[in-house]
Amino acid sequence: MKKIYLHPLPVRIWHWINALGFIILIITGAQIRFAENMGIMSFETAVDVHSWLGFILLANYFIWLLYYLFTGKLFKIYIPPFWRPVEFIKNSIRQAKYYGYGIMVGDKNPHHPTPEHKFNPMQQISYLMIMVLLIPLQIITGLMLWDPQLFSSIISLIGGIQIATLIHTGLWIFFSAFIIVHFYLATLGHTPMAHIKAMFTGYEEEHEEH
Amino acid sequence: MRAIVISGVVILCFLISYLVPLNDAISDDTKACLRCHGMKTLQKALDSGGSLSLYIDGNKFEKSVHGAMDCSSCHPDITLKNHPKPKKITDRKVYIKEFSKNCLNCHPQDSLMKPKVHGEVVKKGEVFCSECHGSHYITSMKDWKKKASFSEYCLTCHQSNITKTLPSKEKISLKVNESEIKKSVHAKFQCLVCHDDFSKVNHPIYNYKDKNQYRKEMTRICTKCHTDKELQKNPAHYALTKTTSCIECHGYHGVKPTKVAKTLPENQYCLNCHSRPISMKMKNGETLSVQVKETDILNSVHKKLKCTECHKEFSTTQHPVRSFESVANYRAKAKDVCNNCHQDAVKKYDISIHAEALKKGNQQSPDCLKCHDYHKVVLITKDKSASSELCVKCHNESGRAFKESVHQKAINDGKQNAPTCASCHNSHDVLAANIAQLGNSCVKCHKDVKTSHNKWLWNPPVKLTTFVDAHFNSASCAACHTTVNKAIYLTLFDRAKKKPLTESEVAKIFGVDPKEVKGKIDYNNDGKIQEQELWQFMSSVKAKAKANLSGRIDVINSNDAHKIEPKSKAIKDCAACHDPSASFAAKIEINREGGKAVKFDLERSAINSAYAIPNIKDFYVLGLTKIKILDILFFIALLGGVAVPVGHLTLRILTAPIRRKRREGK
Repeated sequence: MKKIYLHPLPVRIWHWINALGFIILIITGAQIRFAENMGIMSFETAVDVHSWLGFILLANYFIWLLYYLFTGKLFKIYIPPFWRPVEFIKNSIRQAKYYGYGIMVGDKNPHHPTPEHKFNPMQQISYLMIMVLLIPLQIITGLMLWDPQLFSSIISLIGGIQIATLIHTGLWIFFSAFIIVHFYLATLGHTPMAHIKAMFTGYEEEHEEH
Repeated sequence: MRAIVISGVVILCFLISYLVPLNDAISDDTKACLRCHGMKTLQKALDSGGSLSLYIDGNKFEKSVHGAMDCSSCHPDITLKNHPKPKKITDRKVYIKEFSKNCLNCHPQDSLMKPKVHGEVVKKGEVFCSECHGSHYITSMKDWKKKASFSEYCLTCHQSNITKTLPSKEKISLKVNESEIKKSVHAKFQCLVCHDDFSKVNHPIYNYKDKNQYRKEMTRICTKCHTDKELQKNPAHYALTKTTSCIECHGYHGVKPTKVAKTLPENQYCLNCHSRPISMKMKNGETLSVQVKETDILNSVHKKLKCTECHKEFSTTQHPVRSFESVANYRAKAKDVCNNCHQDAVKKYDISIHAEALKKGNQQSPDCLKCHDYHKVVLITKDKSASSELCVKCHNESGRAFKESVHQKAINDGKQNAPTCASCHNSHDVLAANIAQLGNSCVKCHKDVKTSHNKWLWNPPVKLTTFVDAHFNSASCAACHTTVNKAIYLTLFDRAKKKPLTESEVAKIFGVDPKEVKGKIDYNNDGKIQEQELWQFMSSVKAKAKANLSGRIDVINSNDAHKIEPKSKAIKDCAACHDPSASFAAKIEINREGGKAVKFDLERSAINSAYAIPNIKDFYVLGLTKIKILDILFFIALLGGVAVPVGHLTLRILTAPIRRKRREGK
C-alpha cells in the first residue's frame, strides 16, 4: 500500500472549517427560515451565528483560493481538460459507470488520484462549479442579505432582493443535499474511513490492488 | 311730610290761579284744571329721571279740535276731589302709552284701523296716539294735511321709532332722522322726490321678503336719477352696483357724496368701499364677500403692507372689473397673489396632495386662504396646538390618535421641540403618506436615532448603520413604535418613473374609468384580493407599464400611525416581524392623485407565493415573506440527499456477494 500526499495542510484546514461551517450555516439557515417550528435557538441567535460563520467562511474561502492561486494548482486540479473534450466525456462516463455499476460488481476505480490530478472527471466538474461559481454566489448573496442597504447597488443589478434571496435559498437547498451525498461519497474509499482519514492526515492510501 | 308739601303747593296754585286770565270759551271744569296747569313751571319728576311738564297753554288748547271738551273727558280718572293724588310715572313712554288708551274712549279701535297704514301702526303699538297727533293741541287732520309740507307730513310718523318686521324675521327701522337728511346731498329734497309712490293720500304697503330684497328695491329708487349710463362712467363702481345695493355704501337718507378723496392713505381709500358688506357675483351665480375688516389687516402679519402690494392690478386710479367662473376659480387665482412674495411656499404647495386634491375638485382641500385666511394673515407656527387644529379640522381621526401619543404629551408639557402636524408632514409640500418618506421627518428631531438603533439592530461582525437603514426603508417608524395592529403593505409602483402608479394611470392601462379599477383587481368582487387576482392584475399592468409592488410594514389604520408610544413600549423583538407566523394583515394600495391611497385587503399567502419574486422585487422580510415553495424543495432535496446514499448503499450491500465471488476468482 502506497501513500500519496493528496491534501496539503492549508487545504485540510480549509476543508474542515468549511465542513463544520457549512453544517452550522445550513442548520442556522433552517432556524431562521423555520423560526415558528424550530426551537434550536432564538431567531436573533441564529442570525448572529449565521452572520459570524458567513464571514468566517468568506475568509476561509480565501485560504483555499489564495493557496491554489499561489501554488498554481487551481488550473491543474480544478479545470477539466476542455481541450480534450471527447476524452474528458469518455472518462466522465467511465467514472459514472463505475459509481453506478462497477463499484457494485467489484470493478477497479478508473481514477487514480495524484497530487496533480486529485479529482476524477465528475469530481472535477462538480468542485469547479461549487468552488468557482456556487460558493462565491452564496457568499455574495449572503452579503446582500446581511446588509441589503450596503449592497443595494449589487442587489438592484441582479434584479432585486427577492432574486438574491432566491439564489441564497436555492443554494442552501442544494448544499443541504450535497453535503449528505458528499459525506456518503467520502465513505467510498477502499475502506469507509479511508478518504475521511486522508482529509485529516493528508495522505491517501493507494490500495495495492489499485 | 310729602303730602303736606304737595297740599301746600296746590293751595298756593289755586290762590295764584285767580290772578291768571282764562278764556271764557273754556268750560268751567277745564278752567278749574288750568288754575294749576296753566302755570308754566308746573312739572313732575319722573322715576327714570328728567321731568314731565304739566303746563297746558289754555289758548292753544281752546283752538284744538278738543277745545270745547272737559279735561275729564280724556282724563276720566282725575277729578278735583281726588286730585292731586301723587301719581307715579316711571318714564315718558310709559305715560304716553297709558294716556293714549284714553283716546280710544272716543276713537274706537275699529275706526283707527280703517286707514291701512294707520291700522298697522296702531296694531303694532310701537307708536302711541299722542306721539304723532300730540296731546292737547290737536288740530283738524284735514287742515293739518293741507298745511303740512310733504316732508313734515311724512316725518310726523317716521320720526318715531317705527319698525317693520319682514317675513325673514329681520327688522327694518322706518325711522328717518331729519337732521341726517339736512346734512346729506339730498338736503333740499322732499320725501316724495325719491318715494314718488307715496303721497299725503296714498301710503302703499310693500311686503319685502327679506332685508336683501328691501335693499335692492330701495336701490331701484336711486337709479331713477342715477341712471346706468351715468354709472357706467366708472366701470368698477358700475360693477359694484350690480352686486350690491347703493345704500350699503351711501346710506339711506344721509346720502354722502360719491367722490372719495384720492389723497386718503391708500388702504383707507380702498376700505372706503371694502369695509362695507359688499360682495362679488360669480358667473355661476355664487357670491363672494369682498368686505375687508380693517382690524383683520391691522392684526395680521401684513399690517404694514398696502392693499396694492398684494392686489397689484388695483390702485387709486385703477379698479379693473374682473369676472370669475366660480368662487373656486377665484380662490385658485388668489394663490397668484401670495406667489408675488411667497414663491417658495407656493412652489412647495403646488406639489402637495392638497393642491392635487383641489385640482381634482375636492373643495374641502386647503389652499393658501384656508389656513392663512384672506386678510387676517397670521404666522401659523407660533402656537403648536393652534397650528395642529387647522389640520385636525379635516383630519380629525388622525388628530384624535395624536392626542394619545407621546408627542401630544410633549406639547402638553410645553416642550419647545414637540412636533406639530407640519413637523412631520410639512406645512406646504404635504405629500401622500406612502411617498412622503415620513421616517426622515422622525430623524429630523431624533437625530441620533440610527446610532441608537444600531446598538441592538446590527448583524455581526460589524455594526453598520446601513443595516438600520435597511429596516427603516422596509418598515415605518410607527410599525415598531405603536402597539396597534400591523400589516404588510404592497404599493403599486412604477419603476420607470420611480413613483407609485396611480389609480388614474391604472385606469388608463385598462381603458376604464378610475372607479372601475377596483373591479380589475378584485374581479370576483368579494372585497379581498386573492393570490390569483393579484398576479393576474399585475400581469395585465406589467404588459403596459414597468410596474412592480413596493413593500413596507406599517400600521393597518394609517391614523394609528400618530399614536406614537414612549420608547419603553417600542418593539425590539426581531421575531415580531421575522417569525413567518407573525400575525400581520396584508394590504395592497394604489395611490390616488389628490387623495388617500385606495387600499384593498390582500390574502396573506400571496406574499409567500413564487409569483412574488418577479412582482415584489425589492421587498423581502426574512421569514415573514419567504417563498413557501422553496421550503418544500428543501425537504425534497433533503430526502433526495438521503435517498441517493441509502439507495446506493443498499445496492452495494445487495451486490456484495458478486464482488466477493469476483475477488475469490470464481
